[in-house]
Amino acid sequence: MRATERAGRRRELLRGLAFAAPFLIGFAVFIAYPILASFRYSFTDFNLFQEPQSVGLDNYARMLSDERMWQSLGNTLYLTALGVPLTIVIALAGAHVLNMPVRGQPLFRALVYLPTIVPVVVGGYLWRWLLNAQYGFVNHGLNLLGIPGPLWLENPDWSRPAIVLMSLWTVGGTMVIYLAALKDVPADLYEAAAIDGAGTWRRFTHITWPALSPVTLFQVIVTLIGFLQIFAQPYLLTQTRLNTSSGGPEDTMLSYAMYLFQNAFVFLKMGYASAMAWVLFLITLVITAVLLLTSRRWVHYGSR
Amino acid sequence: MKIVKLGMPLLMVAAMAGCSGGGEPAGKTTITFSYLWSGTEAEALEKIISEFNAGQDKIVVKGVSSPDSQKQLASMSSASGTFDISDNFGNAVGSWAAKGILAPLDDLLKDVDTGAFAPAAMNQMRYRGKTYALPISVHTFQLLYNKKLLDEAGVKPPTTTEELAAAIGKLTKTDDKGAITQLGLGNPSLPNSLTTLGYAFGGTWDGTDPAAPAPTPADPGNLAALTFWQDTITKKYGADKVAAFTAGWGQYMSAQDPFYAGKVAMVIDGEWQAVSIPKNAPELEWGVTAIPVARPDLAGATQLTASTLFIPANSKHKQEAAVFLKHLVGEKAMRDFNLALGNLPARTAMADDPAFARIPNFTAWMEAMKSPKVRSLASAPYAAEYATDLGSAFDSVARGGATPQEAMAKVADRGKNYARD
Amino acid sequence: MARAERLRRAGRRLAVAALVLLFAFPFLAMLSTAFKLPEDVFRAPPTLLPAEWTLGNFATAFEQMPVWRYLGNTLFISAATVIGTLVACPLVAYSLSKLRWRGRSALLAVVLSTMMLPPQVTMIPIYLLWNALNAGDTYWPLIAPAFFGTPFLIFMIRQFLMNVPDELIAAARMDGASELRIYLSIVLPLARPALVTSAVFQFVWTWTDFLNPLIYLNDSEKYTLSIGLYAFFGEHDVAWGPLLAACVMFTMPALLIFIFGQRYFVGGISAGALK
Repeated sequence: MRATERAGRRRELLRGLAFAAPFLIGFAVFIAYPILASFRYSFTDFNLFQEPQSVGLDNYARMLSDERMWQSLGNTLYLTALGVPLTIVIALAGAHVLNMPVRGQPLFRALVYLPTIVPVVVGGYLWRWLLNAQYGFVNHGLNLLGIPGPLWLENPDWSRPAIVLMSLWTVGGTMVIYLAALKDVPADLYEAAAIDGAGTWRRFTHITWPALSPVTLFQVIVTLIGFLQIFAQPYLLTQTRLNTSSGGPEDTMLSYAMYLFQNAFVFLKMGYASAMAWVLFLITLVITAVLLLTSRRWVHYGSR
Repeated sequence: MKIVKLGMPLLMVAAMAGCSGGGEPAGKTTITFSYLWSGTEAEALEKIISEFNAGQDKIVVKGVSSPDSQKQLASMSSASGTFDISDNFGNAVGSWAAKGILAPLDDLLKDVDTGAFAPAAMNQMRYRGKTYALPISVHTFQLLYNKKLLDEAGVKPPTTTEELAAAIGKLTKTDDKGAITQLGLGNPSLPNSLTTLGYAFGGTWDGTDPAAPAPTPADPGNLAALTFWQDTITKKYGADKVAAFTAGWGQYMSAQDPFYAGKVAMVIDGEWQAVSIPKNAPELEWGVTAIPVARPDLAGATQLTASTLFIPANSKHKQEAAVFLKHLVGEKAMRDFNLALGNLPARTAMADDPAFARIPNFTAWMEAMKSPKVRSLASAPYAAEYATDLGSAFDSVARGGATPQEAMAKVADRGKNYARD
Repeated sequence: MARAERLRRAGRRLAVAALVLLFAFPFLAMLSTAFKLPEDVFRAPPTLLPAEWTLGNFATAFEQMPVWRYLGNTLFISAATVIGTLVACPLVAYSLSKLRWRGRSALLAVVLSTMMLPPQVTMIPIYLLWNALNAGDTYWPLIAPAFFGTPFLIFMIRQFLMNVPDELIAAARMDGASELRIYLSIVLPLARPALVTSAVFQFVWTWTDFLNPLIYLNDSEKYTLSIGLYAFFGEHDVAWGPLLAACVMFTMPALLIFIFGQRYFVGGISAGALK
């Protein structure tokens, strides 16, 4: 019995591996190898055309004294700190609005989701137009409300909020997920609370929020990772004629990933760019780990 | 499999599109000329290419317009590149030659006399004693002005920087809310404007030894130029007001170009405007004058840049590319090309060529080319990073975000980490 | 009572309308500017409706950009990646859901954590790898990875399969059918809704991809729509009219896919993200 059992297990293992083969090969070639290779490159000086030259910890040391790197990191963290909470709040609020019993719900849901499938290039230029200080509709709308519109893409104080604003346009994905989760919350919980005399806000904090907390955790992590790597939006908003690199007013729109890209493909400092990539990886891991560890305090799994 | 079925017809179409004249008859070599020019300039270039193709039967040149310098660099990084000859600006030559991605031209073009080209341009073409590119056009910067606006304000074209400051003051108009309605001095390219002004104030961006360039952003002349810009424009009218005005500008060199539309009274720009303005803004009354300088002994100072042709090291048809290159920098092709684009020919002997006299106001730029005070940015290995850092710093100064001293000190600091050789 | 109810209903309708309008407004702005004359485009303050409608911007965009070629290129690689996804992802998902083997949960953990990897870490070595294979500036870097599975889609199909009852599969196994046979004739048909969702997702991702074509495609003949538009801006700068007309043209196909595949999107991400 034992032998056949073991042979059976072995067969199962081979079968499992066989079916998983595409991912395993892809992982080895496109993930494992590049991770190790980029780690190695991060200790070299490599300009793509000549052999990599080992420089030890030089790249990392230079990162510490590279003002532009700190600027880009600061920008990215700013965007993340501003963007993630806003995304969650707006998505959650919007999900409640979309959940309201009005006719045509699928259509409205679709319209709100639509911006997420628009190519980011289109979105970039569209928002560049909308945020234009002279001809843009955003400032026009603000002026109609009596608020003087700032020079979004020219003012160092408003350029990063501009990026967040553009990112919030695609919050529909998160909103739809929250909407589906909202529908899953058992209605009788709300009924019971109403009978007990709980107001709308109380119902939210005691029922909705805990019930949605696993979704929130997932969305926070996903959105956070997205913001830490943000590249296309600021890149397109600051694109200049002939594609010369620009970081926006006072370099406030230079995201970490943009500076990494510049170092790799414009300055051809591949070693330095690899070091930057590893630092980003570590930062992502640390923040995600912290989030997951502290999540036990506010995330409730299962039904109550 | 499906991929192959879908892929094969596509590959065949691509292959056919790649061959000009439908296939490669025996004896002919096809080379690819990928250039950064586009639009009407590309059309002019294509005409020259077809003339070359028709004029001999050994080489077929295929022209591709690819106006993205990043892509150009990426293409030269693989073992077999996508083009055999291309163009860029002179100050990129040094860093590319240092990386070994340009083919040295000394042997390939033995019978071309490099002394016939503008010396200021040739300086950029060499790296460690070898020549890596040849200039087809050079560009100088002069001060263009809107005649009508200057007459209305009673301003004469300035010759000194003090006169320029006064002119800007008289030609910048604001409305009752303080918003700018007309700007005295515009900036089609802020880096070009400030680099040129740096020279006009007697500054230098790459040190004083052409054989050993080093970044010198904080040279007193440079600082004076940046202070000038801040004092006459940024601080006087408010950086945010200028930015608001700038945001409303239309596309450069189109009918909505701010200079063409009379929103800007003066600009520092290159000679291609002499061909562009009659085409895109025929009603504009405009003039050109030499860049105003800070001291009389600096008269004639301006920035010179060069459009150069080079052969990448990973080209498989270097000999044929060299033949074509020689043709392009020959007198006839150079004349045709520069006449069409409104650029200055790179051969000093052609500076007095009567064909160019037909272009309105062109002589101002031509004359500038001959001046010994003409300077150009060094073509050094650190050129790309230096340009980016200067661009950032210029932006900072123009917005009033930093004093010239602070901004240039920062660049000098970063300069310590630049790639050397 | 009825009045209060009507007020509340009106309030709800207003809230929904405001939300939808905020999200849909950029599209309206894009459309209206695309049809405006240049003088109208460069007018402050901007008007929502064009003073005079014109197709000139579209004509310019078509002239300056080989739209059909870019469309064809993008369609080609989008279709190719969809094929790759449909081949690879269900295989792996099956291994992670219906087969029992040691190391299954470890692999699941690996698949999930791969989703957290910033692409910048692997970007440079992968670029060098393709260059070394002489495949830089071809479509291989854009298409091949799809044939090895995408973590998010693998996970989504896996979740779907977990909820599919095992009876049919168990019965087939007892009948002695090979695992591959079971996979092809039972599992794939059962998984069709998840497969359709994956296909739709993959199509849209490839269609809208910016970074990969930016890095790999140098020859302008091979450009996709995203890079084509990017190059158009690089050349023409703030030519707002033609630029936005081009944007309209590039949004149209995504819009069409969306209208037809809508329920797959919304259903898919909800299912994938909730469980």
